[in-house]
Amino acid sequence: MVEKITAYRFERLDETLSQLNREDCAIIAGGTDVMVLHKSRRGVPPKIPKPIVFINHLSELKQVYQHHKDLHIGACCTYSELLENPLIPFALKNAIKTIAAPAIRNRGTLGGNICNASPAGDMLPLLYVYNAKLLLRSVNGNRMVTISDFIQGPRRVQRFHNEIVTEIILPSVLEDSHVVFEKVGNRNADSIAKVSFAGSIRISKDRIDDIRFAFGAVGPTIVRSVDIEKKLVGKTIPLDGADIAAIGSAFDKIIRPIDDQRSTAAYRKTVALHLLRYFLSMKQYQPN
Amino acid sequence: MNLKNISTSVPKKDHKGKVSGQLPYISDVKVENMVYGVLYRSPIAYGKIISIQLPTLPEGYEAVGAEHIPGPNYVKIIKEDQPIFANEWVNYIGEPILMLTGKDLDILYSLLNEVKVEFEEHQAIYTLDEAIKQKSVSSVLANYEFGESLENISAIEQGAHQIIEEEYDTGYQEHVYLEPQGMLAVYKDDEIIVQGSMQCLYYIKNALLSALACGDDEVRVVQSPTGGGFGGKEDYPSMMACHVAVAARAVKKSVMLVFDRSEDMLVTTKRHPAKLKYRTALDKEGNILSMCVDIFLDGGANVGLSSVVLQRALINSAGVYKIPHFHAKGYVLKTNTVPNGAFRGFGAPQSFAGIESHIGHLSKLAKIDPLEYKRKYLVKQGDPTITKGKFRDPILVEEMIEDVLNVSEYKKKKEDFQRLNQQNQRYKKGIGTSLFLHGCGFTGSGERDHIKATVKLVKSKDDQVSLKISNSDMGQGILTTLCKIVAKELDLPFEDILYPYPDTKEVPDSGPTVASRTTMIVGKLLERAAKKLKNQWQTGVEQEIVEHYVHREMIPWDEKTFTGDAYPAYSWGVNIVEVEVDTLTGNIKLEKVYGNYEVGKVIDERIMKGQIDGGLAQGLAYGYLEKMTSKQGRIQQKSISDYGPPTSLDVVSIESKVFDNPYADGPYGAKGAGELTLIGGAPAVQAAIEDALQTSFQQIPITPEVIIESLWMKEGEEG
Repeated sequence: MVEKITAYRFERLDETLSQLNREDCAIIAGGTDVMVLHKSRRGVPPKIPKPIVFINHLSELKQVYQHHKDLHIGACCTYSELLENPLIPFALKNAIKTIAAPAIRNRGTLGGNICNASPAGDMLPLLYVYNAKLLLRSVNGNRMVTISDFIQGPRRVQRFHNEIVTEIILPSVLEDSHVVFEKVGNRNADSIAKVSFAGSIRISKDRIDDIRFAFGAVGPTIVRSVDIEKKLVGKTIPLDGADIAAIGSAFDKIIRPIDDQRSTAAYRKTVALHLLRYFLSMKQYQPN
Repeated sequence: MNLKNISTSVPKKDHKGKVSGQLPYISDVKVENMVYGVLYRSPIAYGKIISIQLPTLPEGYEAVGAEHIPGPNYVKIIKEDQPIFANEWVNYIGEPILMLTGKDLDILYSLLNEVKVEFEEHQAIYTLDEAIKQKSVSSVLANYEFGESLENISAIEQGAHQIIEEEYDTGYQEHVYLEPQGMLAVYKDDEIIVQGSMQCLYYIKNALLSALACGDDEVRVVQSPTGGGFGGKEDYPSMMACHVAVAARAVKKSVMLVFDRSEDMLVTTKRHPAKLKYRTALDKEGNILSMCVDIFLDGGANVGLSSVVLQRALINSAGVYKIPHFHAKGYVLKTNTVPNGAFRGFGAPQSFAGIESHIGHLSKLAKIDPLEYKRKYLVKQGDPTITKGKFRDPILVEEMIEDVLNVSEYKKKKEDFQRLNQQNQRYKKGIGTSLFLHGCGFTGSGERDHIKATVKLVKSKDDQVSLKISNSDMGQGILTTLCKIVAKELDLPFEDILYPYPDTKEVPDSGPTVASRTTMIVGKLLERAAKKLKNQWQTGVEQEIVEHYVHREMIPWDEKTFTGDAYPAYSWGVNIVEVEVDTLTGNIKLEKVYGNYEVGKVIDERIMKGQIDGGLAQGLAYGYLEKMTSKQGRIQQKSISDYGPPTSLDVVSIESKVFDNPYADGPYGAKGAGELTLIGGAPAVQAAIEDALQTSFQQIPITPEVIIESLWMKEGEEG
């Protein structure tokens, strides 16, 4: 039985957007999530219920550039390409290196990781910490949305079917900040995060100027709380034990992980809080 | 290439085909008039089948079930307790009930969704703990007991300074052979040819003779290139072979059955989860006065090979130690879960993990370095085994230990790590050891009574020599090693010796490819056959040499009393493992692994290194990385990434050495090597983690979850 599949591969972004305006399509960048999501049992090709639009070749979606203080990353840059790019911050590269294995990194894209909206998406905690914004384009024009507004839940994003995420924008790239990312997986490659943590801190004259943290794989979306972060602004480094404990128990209340085939809720929560406290207990922070 | 030294490596016979990707595995094969089979499997763990309702099948699509089996409805292994197609009771989730056949897999999968089976569900037993609690007559699938009388032990315990009791749990292990299971039955009017991925051609042939109730020449088994076995293709393929052969007979077409990874992980056999209980009497100095070991294996839904697995677990229950006044008993218990079966080590990895853990903990009580404590009890040449057999051959373990202590700088590292651990709050380093052996070949009198191996060498008119044996190369390299043995004996270039993939029409039964027996037993028979051929060599003449197994009688094995020589020979190993534990996440980083082994004589250095590195990767992972769980009778991890076998980034450099100690009854002195290399991994990694964290564990795998629970949650640490 031969099944017909409609697939589009336009030379330019505007043609692609026109087609998306005419028809609800499945967008494939690297395909590393879409192909798995629609996988069939052995011997049967994946079943993608909509026409397919390939976008990974579009040069408009592969640019990386600095504009004022913001870093613009094309949504279809593959992880391997980002690893090679001198504009990409060191912390982001560290996170990329924890993703899957080289073959997947040659296909997978930053935009894909965002639009797949997995609670365990490896790039997401850092993008939340960077206050990443997404540029969406359609035939009607452009709009900008923050990553935390864009991602609504597991595999749920605020994208209209005629839109494409074209750029990821990292405002002012946390230049003077100390940024960390820790992924806890069941092994050193090809693993899905059990817990992940991203943190950034900027200090001037021993006082905290700006501090952010985000947790992955401990809830339906990345957990970040600006309100909790604010409590630390202005405090002196090193933080005292009571402050650290207060932040820990504030997150204890909002982190609600689950048991699944990869780990337990208790483990996820304990480790998430450990990584947070470890980050807060550091004696000194170096901008990186 | 002529072989001066047998151990010198040669290119593997199958190297080019595998490296180029040209070698066709079973799922690559297509034959004329071939249909696919898919299995309808039980969705419940325990119950009675009330009715089966099939959807309307399109033309060319058929259903095959118990009513199509010409012979009795069980897979012939040891006991008659495993149905080919369950038609009365189902005993586990995933048990096959019927097969649908047809040309298009997509259509077959949708038809499968429309099959309706009504069950009367019964209360299932899901875990080994439940089975132990309810241990009724019907749930004991096998049991053995042996050793010193309990009265004597009780008297010793009365006078002891202290009695230590420990309970130890080991988990599932999944084989994760690179190639999932697959089997094809080629239909012909007068013959069914079953080919596929397998370790034991004659196990399959015997199962088919029974299921098809047919004559010896009506069924034929051919091995396809096999992408890994690890024991997973010892027993399970017999069932798949019955499925495709019965179906081929019924639909008069060739039938292909291939699993994808998730089906394979959910329904095929695994390593038996086990519970081991130790009760040891100590004197004031911490010396062992007596020891009792109870072993419980989770057999899953039917006995399969479990009784034999239990035998090996029990025979290894004292490890490499001479324990005064030793008693052991063991049970295989039934649970309504996927049947457990053969897996590299075959019961021994559970026992070694348990005894090494227990002895390690006793050494802490005695305040002696674990390795020093273990050495006090190490068996020596001439010592009796726990089954009243004898360690006949020289034992080199002391030399192996001394060597690895020097190479690894064990003592220095122990001190360094203690100092480093005081300075580093987050990361803790540890170093651990394991000592182990492997009994080579079948347990007890299996070779003499059950296997009775026969090998054949055939020389053609143009003087080409071929091996005719029923053993499978599954990646372990026997296409190469066995040809080397024959080539060297005949003084011919290695490339000139042929070893085609075995076909039961062409080869005698040289036994299954299991139990680290192939090189030692089959290799020896081939060496003898080659010697004979050399003596009788006539250029340009067809010649055939047949050799039969000859049993060297030692202390006869008696399965009832569990006494005698359980094995003709033993291989030995010592591992040292260094780890770094992240106390915040519980993650374990292997830093360095050392292994010293004694396998008689190495037949090919590179192949032996492959066994060492691969066996260690699998054995270490069994101790800390690979985690499989069952919930309400359902396996939870159905993908490789969820199960988590080691990647190249998880395995570190393995420094190994093999000691020569030729064994008289092995070819060029070779003994078994395949299973040995797995056994020491888990206990050494456990010891290293315990050393890093200065705590004790009572289970493997020691996952990050286990570590975090032991380090933090028990102390009620929060906030």
